[in-house]
Amino acid sequence: MNFVSVAHLSKSYGDVKAIDDFSFEIDQGEVLALVGPDGAGKTTLMRLVCNLLVPDSGTIRIADLDVAGGFDRLKEMLGYMPQVFSLYLDLSVEENLIFYAGIYGVTGARYRQKRDYLYGFSMLAPFARRRAGDLSGGMKQKLALSCALIHDPQILVLDEPTTGVDPLSRRQFWEILSEFKRQGVTILLTTPYMDEVARADRACFMFGGKKLTEGTPGELTGSFKGELYSLDTLPSTDLIKRLNDIPHLQSRRFGTGLHVNLDADLKIEDVSEALRAAGVDPGHLVPAQAGMEDCFIQLMEQTGD
Amino acid sequence: MTRALTGLVRKEFLQVFRDRNMLSLIFAMPLVQLILFGYIVNTEVRLIDLDVYDFDRSETSRAFVNSCRAGDYFVPQEGVPSILALDERFKNGASEMALIIPEDFSTRLQTREQAAVGLIADGTGANATAIGLGYMGQIARKFSQRELGVTPPVDIRYRFLYNPEAESVYFMVPGIVAALLMMITVMLTSMAIVRERERGTLEQLLVTPMSSTTLLLGKVIPFAALGLFELVFALTIGVLWFSVPFVGSPFLLLALSLLYLLTTLGLGLFFSTVTTTQQQAMFFAWFFSVFALLTSGFFTPISNMPQWMQYVTLLNPMRYFVNIARGIMMKGSGITELWADTYPLILFGVSIFGIAVARFTKRAA
Repeated sequence: MNFVSVAHLSKSYGDVKAIDDFSFEIDQGEVLALVGPDGAGKTTLMRLVCNLLVPDSGTIRIADLDVAGGFDRLKEMLGYMPQVFSLYLDLSVEENLIFYAGIYGVTGARYRQKRDYLYGFSMLAPFARRRAGDLSGGMKQKLALSCALIHDPQILVLDEPTTGVDPLSRRQFWEILSEFKRQGVTILLTTPYMDEVARADRACFMFGGKKLTEGTPGELTGSFKGELYSLDTLPSTDLIKRLNDIPHLQSRRFGTGLHVNLDADLKIEDVSEALRAAGVDPGHLVPAQAGMEDCFIQLMEQTGD
Repeated sequence: MTRALTGLVRKEFLQVFRDRNMLSLIFAMPLVQLILFGYIVNTEVRLIDLDVYDFDRSETSRAFVNSCRAGDYFVPQEGVPSILALDERFKNGASEMALIIPEDFSTRLQTREQAAVGLIADGTGANATAIGLGYMGQIARKFSQRELGVTPPVDIRYRFLYNPEAESVYFMVPGIVAALLMMITVMLTSMAIVRERERGTLEQLLVTPMSSTTLLLGKVIPFAALGLFELVFALTIGVLWFSVPFVGSPFLLLALSLLYLLTTLGLGLFFSTVTTTQQQAMFFAWFFSVFALLTSGFFTPISNMPQWMQYVTLLNPMRYFVNIARGIMMKGSGITELWADTYPLILFGVSIFGIAVARFTKRAA
């Protein structure tokens, strides 16, 4: 039995289909990442899961309870972190923790024990009296996560928890998540960062409200079709256009260079003439390992066709 | 539920007391308003500048001018230039009224004919003009009585029953208390809720086990408490500083204040359900406060308003509370005398609070 099961979920705003027949499942203690660019419908999906929006159709079940009817019974076991930092900026770190703990009836010795445990991960203890509004972006997110964890939830729903957070804080953040995952907490999160997918157990690629694909990080990168080469030259838009005019070849910017993707049954020699004509020495193309981003773009372009 | 509620109330107080601007507003507003209304808005009219054009220049006419000096109502200005300059003097504020005594003033009085004096008033301050005319009438009556030994057929004697000194601050203070409670509670309540929506914390609260009733009570209780504090604070200043008499029962006033708070908190709550930003909420609260202030009978008696406007004032809870506060403080009225102002408050409070709660829980769910 899956801990979370979302089936055929749809939600429209007027004519815009924000979520289109979306289904996924999460096992207990599993981390599922929903990955997609801005506007893919990630936040809408999270708000639907947290009963903050009502779906047009489809069902969401968590711990064998229907979110539409049984959300009140789910509240105790749910920890939610919205996309925008939504704690009280004029209250201190500790006051925010006390407030959220109080709502769940976590008080006294139990609260102090829980607080110190969370401070151990978040390193926020020295800032306990600082106002939340004066924290850095990374500290804010760690505080929000601590508030979402203060009542020992069984499922965490995190909407872009690491967006705009510095690399060190991101790493600490993921360490906290791994610790709670070990304790059996089920985690559903969204991220626009492809590199974070590797830290999840499974990921769903989403675009335009639809699910492109899902799988473990290995399965996703393994699903890349064709051969990938990288070219270490600063590409002009014109060059990309000329390369893309070559049949069976796609190219796009990658970092400061280019990634060139060749259909599976072709070798670089088959297009060397065309490459030279486009102004690229085929000898400069180096075989490359497809990353999460390459897979995502390839899937996105396929659905676009 | 109670634990979550105490947490919420505690948090709300923390937020109010952390905001230094808000804090100084809460304490300064009653002080400033009392001082403004107590000292500046003064409906008594005294020391009116009176230009005297005495064409009679007799003993009698001088005696009449002198009698104008009595009681500090008028400051007669003699030796003013030509009456042709009067218009100019009104315009630049050198004078407010002019008394013209005709040449035949003393002769007519000696022959026991009716003598007339002319009075020209700068009518731009309608209230002051009316009061000035009243004073002059009294002076003329007293003068003729003394000079001629004649008692006018109708002798008008008046006395203010509940405010013998006619001190405007006495009836201003109850009005200020009503206005303060309205402004503080409507504005703070609506803004505190909208702020949570604006910041996204409301969304965060909605996924917690906190019920919408708890959330609502947690928002209403702190501002009700603040409102009561303001009430006591303003009344204390009124009584101690301005020596406003307090004839009736403070407990009755406190009890009926709670009823009034039900209407103002209901309004604040209602405004929070129809707005999405703190700015909008503030404008709604501000707009309503101005309406409430002007139609409450605080400045202008309701009976002076056009009939249709008098009907509009029935929709203003402040109107009833101003009556209640004045009744209790100045006349010592009890609940029976105040019932006519109490039941509309109950009706208004229960309906607006009910509507607001229904809208709030619907939006929250």
